Amino acid sequence: MIQLNGNDNVAVAIEDCSSNVEVTVKAPAPHASFSIVPISNIPFGHKIALSDLKPGDIIVKYGRPIGRATKAIPKGELVGVHNIEGLRGRGDLEASRRQAK
Amino acid sequence: MTFWGYVRPNGEVGARNYVLIIPSYRIINIAAKRICDYVFGTRAIVTTGEVSRHTKDRERLARIFTGLARNPNVYAVIILGAKNDGSGYKEFLATRLTEEIGKSQKPVSVLTVEESGGLERLVEDGIALARQYVHDASLIRREPVPLSALQIGVKCGFSDATSGISGNPAFGLAADKLIREGGTVLFSETTELIGAEQDVASRCVDPKDAARLLAMVEEIEEAAKRTGEDIRQINPIPANINAGISTLEEKSLGAIQKAGSMPIQGVLEYAQRPGKKGLHFMDGWASGYSLPVSLAAAGCQVTLYQLGGGDLPSNDPPVIATNTGVVAPLMFVTGNPRTAKKAPRSIDFSSGAVLTGEETLEEAGEKLFNKIVSIAGGELAKGETVNYMDPIEPYFLGPVF
Repeated sequence: MIQLNGNDNVAVAIEDCSSNVEVTVKAPAPHASFSIVPISNIPFGHKIALSDLKPGDIIVKYGRPIGRATKAIPKGELVGVHNIEGLRGRGDLEASRRQAK
Repeated sequence: MTFWGYVRPNGEVGARNYVLIIPSYRIINIAAKRICDYVFGTRAIVTTGEVSRHTKDRERLARIFTGLARNPNVYAVIILGAKNDGSGYKEFLATRLTEEIGKSQKPVSVLTVEESGGLERLVEDGIALARQYVHDASLIRREPVPLSALQIGVKCGFSDATSGISGNPAFGLAADKLIREGGTVLFSETTELIGAEQDVASRCVDPKDAARLLAMVEEIEEAAKRTGEDIRQINPIPANINAGISTLEEKSLGAIQKAGSMPIQGVLEYAQRPGKKGLHFMDGWASGYSLPVSLAAAGCQVTLYQLGGGDLPSNDPPVIATNTGVVAPLMFVTGNPRTAKKAPRSIDFSSGAVLTGEETLEEAGEKLFNKIVSIAGGELAKGETVNYMDPIEPYFLGPVF
């Protein structure tokens, strides 16, 4: 796994990782590598939570916000469209706001 | 450093040596296509055209026509038109196109349906003239020219997690190196700046450019919101999501890695030629059928498709877009070792070894730079070995009336 920025709360799998099998997360210099135990399968290219996240918590990758959690995400869980959403280009939110008026 | 190029009368340098056929009205598309099928070494622009589009969109299409014609990869241009200049939108009058293209001092001819005596006679005349031009073009020899004459354009697509780790960053280093050599690099894809626009804007040399870039991003985000949809239903595309990208912001932050680390010298309108060297952002649409031709119209002699490809079908899948640079080679490069392995006939370069730790980003960037210089100098991009061009999609604002 790779953590792209020291501030990220997700890392990226660079091979298929299995649930309950400890893996090493390579962190950017000067941070040291650390290990994590996935609690779900993390396929190649997908993300893992590096800490427990609450609904609404901002997901950080590349040191920048990429979205927010839509539900509680425990450390080691797969992070994807099933538990995070984008913050930008949300025409759906604007439309429901308009409807509410 | 140098590359092997065709020096044009105005001093610009081609990486290819085509004769371009432009049907200035779409009803003559068939003639352009027939001439191009018949004569080796030609390219034709075939689009759905300008009819019932507003002025801004007609100007965009006209920039595609004149921009491709002025591209130094083109030796000569044949415009197929209609004699009566009063019959069409002014942007596409043969006289206007000729004047615009003529600035590049290359041979330009106009053939018309009326003067040839009908559509099929026009095809005959076009074939005869194109064969003459192609032969004339063959008399020009490549020579070593400084890399400062090279302008390349990049898009990334079928993005996956490797795009932002081993793919786009490797291209970014190659881009930095070309710029240090005095060359020019264009990146684009306005939608894929959403979520990363502040980082990009802060690199603009001119604060006015930074403001324009932010305005372009705001405009496209507002347009996206007017659909009433979460943009995630549109972009990232399902293939991005299946490959591990979960939001547009995540895609954008990976995408901008291809812009390297150099200052941004200019922010260009769609299909606009840069007025100076160095790194530029161009307003544009990410489609593989749209962006390569747009970059070529802005003067790029070589275009690159930085491919993630995590969700491509296995076993030698079709390339994403075939020869949509029209007059500029379209290279396929990837940072995903799995993509490189499953599409060896289509991928020109892989920096996948960065992901597996067998190579550093710096090494991959250096190798990619050398590959770009080689393809600029005449090595065929793998897609160029295929005698087919996908339809091109100019980036129109719409609506139509």
